[in-house]
Amino acid sequence: MALPARQRRAVLALTAPFFAFFLLAFVAPICYAIYESLLKVNRSGPLGLGGSSLEFAGLSNYSLALRQSDFLQSFGRVLLFGVVQVPVMIVLATALALLLEMLSARWAGFFRAVYFLPYGVPGVIASLLWGFLYVPGVSPIVSLIHDMGINVNFLGYHTILWSIANIAVWEFAGYNMLIIVAQLKSIPHDLIEAARVDGAGIWRIDWHVRLPLIKPALTLTLVFSIIGTLQLFTEPQVLMTYTGYITTNYTPNLSAYNQSFTNNNTNLASAEAVILALVAAVLSFGFLKLVTRRSNR
Amino acid sequence: MTKAMKALSRRELLRRSALTAVGATGLAGCATTAGAARQSRQAQVKPGERISLTFWTWEPLQDAVALWNREHPDIHVTMQIIPGGSSGGYQKMYAALRSGKPPDIAHVEYQELAAFMLVQGLTNLRPYGIDKYHSRYVEWQWRQGLFGNGVYTVPWASGPMGMFYRKDLFKKWGIQPPQTWDEFEQAARTVRRKDSHAYLHSFPSSNSAWFEGLAWQAGGHWVRTDGDEWIIDIANPQTRKVAQFWDRLIADDLVTIENDGQSAWYKQIQQGTLGSFVTADWYDALLRDNAPNTSGKWLATRMPQWTRGAKTAANWGGSSLAVLQGSRYPQQAMEFGIWLSTDIRAINLSIPQGSGWPGADNAYSRTVLSKPDKFFSNQRYNAIFVEADANIDKSWRFLPTNDSAVSHMNDAFAAAIATKSSIADTLSDVQSRVIDDMKAKNLKVRGASS
Repeated sequence: MALPARQRRAVLALTAPFFAFFLLAFVAPICYAIYESLLKVNRSGPLGLGGSSLEFAGLSNYSLALRQSDFLQSFGRVLLFGVVQVPVMIVLATALALLLEMLSARWAGFFRAVYFLPYGVPGVIASLLWGFLYVPGVSPIVSLIHDMGINVNFLGYHTILWSIANIAVWEFAGYNMLIIVAQLKSIPHDLIEAARVDGAGIWRIDWHVRLPLIKPALTLTLVFSIIGTLQLFTEPQVLMTYTGYITTNYTPNLSAYNQSFTNNNTNLASAEAVILALVAAVLSFGFLKLVTRRSNR
Repeated sequence: MTKAMKALSRRELLRRSALTAVGATGLAGCATTAGAARQSRQAQVKPGERISLTFWTWEPLQDAVALWNREHPDIHVTMQIIPGGSSGGYQKMYAALRSGKPPDIAHVEYQELAAFMLVQGLTNLRPYGIDKYHSRYVEWQWRQGLFGNGVYTVPWASGPMGMFYRKDLFKKWGIQPPQTWDEFEQAARTVRRKDSHAYLHSFPSSNSAWFEGLAWQAGGHWVRTDGDEWIIDIANPQTRKVAQFWDRLIADDLVTIENDGQSAWYKQIQQGTLGSFVTADWYDALLRDNAPNTSGKWLATRMPQWTRGAKTAANWGGSSLAVLQGSRYPQQAMEFGIWLSTDIRAINLSIPQGSGWPGADNAYSRTVLSKPDKFFSNQRYNAIFVEADANIDKSWRFLPTNDSAVSHMNDAFAAAIATKSSIADTLSDVQSRVIDDMKAKNLKVRGASS
């Protein structure tokens, strides 16, 4: 499928800006991180204060990272988070999308915008807002619940993970809904009509016609969500100022960040970042493989 | 798209990304030094030549810098506001050191100086004649900059600790400002008995820099050196004593668990359900700004003592002005640092910006510090901190990975409190984590007990 030379030039010219930025802002930093992760600082002089030089360290930063229990635990934490938060969010997004299908066009447009709105709020701002809604003595929600006689601390040791999950659901359910809505719109109307004529009710149409047809959209949103979960950073970083129970190694990303910014060990931080990227790749490709194998069967 | 096409394009993609990877690694190969890429070297300044210095800080010191620039037309200082210390400021400095383009002078907290020494990031100021200014500074702050035979920083400000308390609430509860930690515990008990909603004090589960101050007061040194080796001793008996004291208060519900400086804590201060805080002098501005409704109800006093009649104080926070490695004008940068930290007008312009207790000795009587303050019941409350500043253990050294150690302690304390176990029992775990951090940096290190 060869393109005429003129068209090929146009393709190159039009994609060049993208690839330039992609290389500069994406590929180059990744390569630099891999390079950094293979180095270590060698120190000399009394107390190591005399001098320092960089030398090749092989995979020693990786083995060091994998021996840190805090770093490993952070993976366990985000996996637990993902196992609960991702299904809740995707089910909610799907339900909202299907509900919108039942509304008249005007109202559907209105509610679609409303549900999507939280995604337009930057993560930092969303976390700050929710943070204030969680703080006892400041939050009207907490006061209301307390007045009802229920004692709950959203910023507690056992609850904070789920308070973060709540923010993530609030932020991203609408976004995922939109992806699903887009696919729902592409379902030929006569298909639905045929099912209706055959006597299928709304539930049966949703379950047997719409859901199977939006599977690609669901797969896509799930992969995005798995990656997003592993990269959890903004929400816990912001909420840290509201509670002491978000530790410096709360998520893999926070751990790498703190190795670099608090401990000035960029080599170890880079190794942690690369490990995180590998885990995310394995999980999302593994999931894709699982889904495609099942659909091929 | 057929399967074969998909496979082909993926292979092609891999090949291309491998090629770019090689290119990028080649680019990245330039930076090979771990520390500063450039050494400080004094450039010749011709008479009448105008030179320019860059100053990195997170404090709003525009007024003082403008005053310097008016009076020193030959040495123009450009101040650049950077993120606060470990919120990104230091990382920026480390990156600048590695790239060989650091600012001439920058704010570096005392607890971070050793970490900068590890990357050879500071200029020894002894060859530039800093010793003749020694007597202008508070001794313990001066000593923070001593490494080997060098003097590596200009003292700027600190946080001598005392106790702020609500005189109206103390009267209502019928308690006196506690002189000792025993009396502190008794007072905490009385408050709980008199008012079930109120507490004498809070325990911040995640503010170990504050806890470090308390350990400092008790004489629990966290680090020392033995020849070529760092000895880490966080789980020492004095620090354990402090931790066990708070363990008891926490277990008996005599303190509320709330991190100071956060919304929920200020709320309790505003509501009058918290009666005091043992803290650094610079908390004055925070209280004034965040609880204006409590104006005129506060007093300051000496922090509680472990031995009756003692006056031992401690420090929380504080920073210095360091000439970073790579400056072309270390002499002028140092002179600016000395002016900024000791000129009375500069101090008077900086204090209202929350700069903390001056590193300049005897600053109190000559500056705005000696003014009575309406918020603190017209008390000359800073007199308390003059005494405190003079009674700080001068031999205290910070860990070379202090920030990280404090983070480990925050994590450990928060978890212990949440699971109703002892914070004192976490100290040896924190210690071993600190040792791991230092080993990961290729330092010779061991724990005190081993």
